Formats: sequence, C-alpha cells, structure tokens
Amino acid sequence: MPAAGAEAGIGYGIDRRHRVALLAGLLPALLLLVALTLAPALYLFVISLTPATPTNPASLTDFSAPAQNYVSALGDERFIESLWVQIKLSVSTVAVQTALGLGVALLLNRGGRLVGALRTIFLIPTVLPPIVAALIWKVLYTPDVSPLHRALASVGVPVASLITNPDTALWAIAVADTWQWFPFTMLIILAALQVVPREPLEAATVDGASPLQLFLYVVLPFIRPAIVIAALFRLIDSVKAFPLIYVLTSGGPGTATQVTNYYAFTQAFNYAYWGYASAISVMLTAAVFVLSALIGSRGAKAAGHE
Amino acid sequence: MSEEPHPVAAGRPASRRKPAGRVLANAALALAFLFVVVPIAWLAQMSLRPNEDILGYRLLFTPTLDHYSSLLEGKFLRYFLNSVLSSSLSTAIALLVGTPAAYVLSRWRFRGQRHVALWVLSTRMAPQIAFTIPFFLFFRRVGLNDTVWGLALIYLTFNLALVIWMMRSFFDAVPRALEEAAWLDGCGIWTAFLRITLPLAAPGLAATAVLCFIFSWNDFFYALILTRTNAMTAPVAIVNFMQYEGWEWGKMAAGGTLVMLPVLVFTVLVRRWLVSGLMAGGIKD
Repeated sequence: MPAAGAEAGIGYGIDRRHRVALLAGLLPALLLLVALTLAPALYLFVISLTPATPTNPASLTDFSAPAQNYVSALGDERFIESLWVQIKLSVSTVAVQTALGLGVALLLNRGGRLVGALRTIFLIPTVLPPIVAALIWKVLYTPDVSPLHRALASVGVPVASLITNPDTALWAIAVADTWQWFPFTMLIILAALQVVPREPLEAATVDGASPLQLFLYVVLPFIRPAIVIAALFRLIDSVKAFPLIYVLTSGGPGTATQVTNYYAFTQAFNYAYWGYASAISVMLTAAVFVLSALIGSRGAKAAGHE
Repeated sequence: MSEEPHPVAAGRPASRRKPAGRVLANAALALAFLFVVVPIAWLAQMSLRPNEDILGYRLLFTPTLDHYSSLLEGKFLRYFLNSVLSSSLSTAIALLVGTPAAYVLSRWRFRGQRHVALWVLSTRMAPQIAFTIPFFLFFRRVGLNDTVWGLALIYLTFNLALVIWMMRSFFDAVPRALEEAAWLDGCGIWTAFLRITLPLAAPGLAATAVLCFIFSWNDFFYALILTRTNAMTAPVAIVNFMQYEGWEWGKMAAGGTLVMLPVLVFTVLVRRWLVSGLMAGGIKD
C-alpha cells in the first residue's frame, strides 16, 4: 500500500508539515547516539595517537609520534601472546557452544509443557548477570569449597585446582564460558527450527528418509543461516569475555588467560598507559567491526531466505 | 518479529522415533538440565547454609538468613539501590528519547535505513573497553566519575540503540489507518502518536523497558571502572567481598542470589522477545 510514498523516500500520507514534526522526534535520539557512540570512538582514536598517561596532562595532546603506540604493539610480545590466547579461547568456545547449542535445540524442538518449561530454564545462564556466573564457577573451581573437587577427593581421585594451573586455566574458563553462553546459540537455533516448513519434512518422511537424513538434507539447509549468525555473534562477544577472567584467574596464572581485551584493561587501568591501551582498543574494535559487517550481510541474506 | 504461531515442525519426526532413541534423547536432556541448574542451585543453597556448615552436602539443613541480614547491616543495600537507580534512570532516558525516534523510523522510510541497522549493530558489538577509556577521561574532567548519572549515561550507549531497534519493529506492527484518520481530523502527529499508536504498542514498550533494565543491571565492566565507593553497584560490591574482605562464601552467595533474582523474574516475562533483544541489529525482524 505505501509503495508510492516509499518510492519518493517519504512514507504514505506524510506531508511537509509532518516531516518537520517527525524530524523533531528523530533528532534528539540521533544527536545523543552520535554524542554517546561516534564521539567517544573518535576520541579513542585521537588518544591512541598520543602517549597519554594521567601523571602528565600534556601527554593527552602530544601528537609528536602518532603511530608510536601501534608500532609498539606490533613489537610487544605480551600483546601478540594475548592474541593467541584470544584465538584459542574464541575458537574453542564458539565451536563447542555452537555444537552444544544445536544439540540441545534439536532435543527441545518438540511440543509438551515440560519441554516448554525446559526451554526457559535453559536460558538462565545466558541472562544471568555475568558476575553471578563468574561467582558460581569460582565456587566450583576452588578446591576447598567446590562440591566437585571434594567429591572427587572423597572417592580417592583428588584434583588440584584447574584455574591455578597454567596448562588448564584457559580450558577451565572455556568450560565456564560454554555453560554461560551455549543457551544463546540454542535460543537462536531453536527459533530457526520452529519455522522450518512442514511440507518438505512430511514429503521426505513419506519417502522413507531416516531421522539423520531428515536432519542433514531437510532441516540443516533451513537452519544453516541461523547457525552461522549465532556463531558469529558468539565469536564477537567472545572477544569481550571479561567478568569470568577477572574473577576466576585475573589473566593468570602468569599470562595464561590474558586475552587481548583483558590486556588492554590492565594497560589502561592498572598501569595507566591510556594511549597504548587506546591503540589496542582501536585495533580490537576494528576487528569486531569487520566481523559485524559480515553479520550485516549474512543477516540480510538470512532474512531474505525466510 | 518472527513469532507467528508456527507448529513445531521438526518435532514430528522426533515423536515418531523408536523408544530407544526417545530414552536416549530424554537422558541427554536430563544431563543438560543438571549441567545448567546444579551450579545455580548450589550457589543459592550456600546462601542459606549456616556458616559452620557452609560447605556441607546434606540436603536437610536448617536454612538461615544470617548471610542476608549481615549483607543488609553492611553497605550492600546501598550498592543494590545504586544498581536499581542507574539501571532505571538509563532505561527511562532511553525510552523517552528512543521511542519517538523509533516511531519516526517506522513511519518514515528513507534510504539510509540499512545504515541505522548497522549502527545499532555496531553499538551492540563494540568492545566495552573502547567506550570506557574516552568516557573515563571525559567523566574525570566533568566530575561524573563515581556517580549514578555517569553510569546511566554510559548504559545509554547500548540502551538507546536497543530501544530504537525494538520499538521500531513494535510500531511496524501497529496499523497506520488509525493514526492517519486522526491526522485528517486535525490531530497533530505527536498527539496522535501519544493517544493512539503508543497505547497500542504498550506491551512492546514494557518488554523493551525490561530488556534495557536487565542489560544495565547485568553490567560489571563499566561499573568496575567508572565507580569507586559512592556509586558502586551490587555486582562490583560482590567481587569486593572476595578481594577485600577475605573469603566470605556465604555472604558472596547471598549477594549473588539477590542480584540474580530480579533477572530471573524478568526473564520469564520477556522470554518471547529475548531473541530480538539479544541480537539487536543482527537480524532483520
């Protein structure tokens, strides 16, 4: 119905007088969004070009060596190592969370009141305040307190703390992260499963397809875009993992769990290298934006698919 | 919104599965259920256990509210209120400013619409540290560090975009005929909006408000850096029990339980809208 108006770039029934009124409604939000998101982003970039640190106010406007922070980062072993830690954590958690989320979504994709209740219960870890999730796992990973550690000790297989061992700390965090976030992928995939059309399923069933064949050749093609989007969201959010690392290991032992985001945080707020931390944040943000653009195009495709 | 009352399509083959497969599926679900629920339940039961038995296993124990009352005797109540205040304030401002904008974006289609979606997505995706450093420096200069207002302001970085995104799709679902009739009767565009369109979108407004509140309530990173003692929020206070007051497991568990309770209640209320809320900007509604 509103096609003609849309073509002119103006909604149906909206004249000039209305346009002024509409602009008045739109502008405050736009200005506030610019002030809150675009301006800080630009400011971050500007700081990244300086050696800013709180003890020397002049450093905030010292642009004598604008690329210095970026050059330093490339030669900073701890920064490079933090990228490796990040990649290990991101790849492992995204893979496991996507698989687990898909599995549980398939199990929950049927009718019944009990299943309906389970769908809501399974969401809890993801909506829980992240700090509470971190607290829960702090309890589970502290040997004197943890029911798991004490149960294992009482049957004669004591296990030393996993989060103070550099070989296991990152994987312990990955397990906690998976507990917290697999419901996210589950939720997205479940939503896609529920709109898989019936006809092809019924046709394939009549033709004698096995459940595995049904899944691989009928269901999977329909839900693939949702799986990809869910994984991409998790990939981006995995870059921001913070409360778990802060509470469980503080980036340690040594630098075993120091992801890039955490490294930037310590550089900025423990050592007050604001300029350097800003440069790392700029690179991190740029990486995230590239991935977001990917979601933007994928999302449009997924929507077009439905 | 993709919430057409679709039948559970792929569920049909599952129900026709052979009994053995059915049993296996149920066992897997039961395992997943334990994996999800036991850790949470463990924290909750710890908060009720008396200190001398804080690590106990026995299911039967005499629950005590000691940990909760010791929380209230300390400053925790104040930090809890800081959380309530900063989250509510931010939610209110986001709704006030964002709802009219969402309405405009719903009614007035222009060429840049796709960019709005991408912008919303970017604010959802940007690492918090990228906002924290500039805001920290700016707040230091204008005296907003360690204030509830400062927190409310930085929560707007995600809340405002969320409101615009969610409310736009709710307004899309409200038919235009009613408000256009009001315009013809000489009603101003915003009068018609307030009297006709907004009431019809009220359930959406409530859901959006709850989502904004949850996301602000769950924040840890911003509050950790931008507050000290005055505006400290409950999540940061809990971590401080760990670091400065030794290992008070009972108190920590009680604090954690208190912080998660509102979220649990609200989640049940907004479950239907969680997908669009969590993925704002990432999928076309």
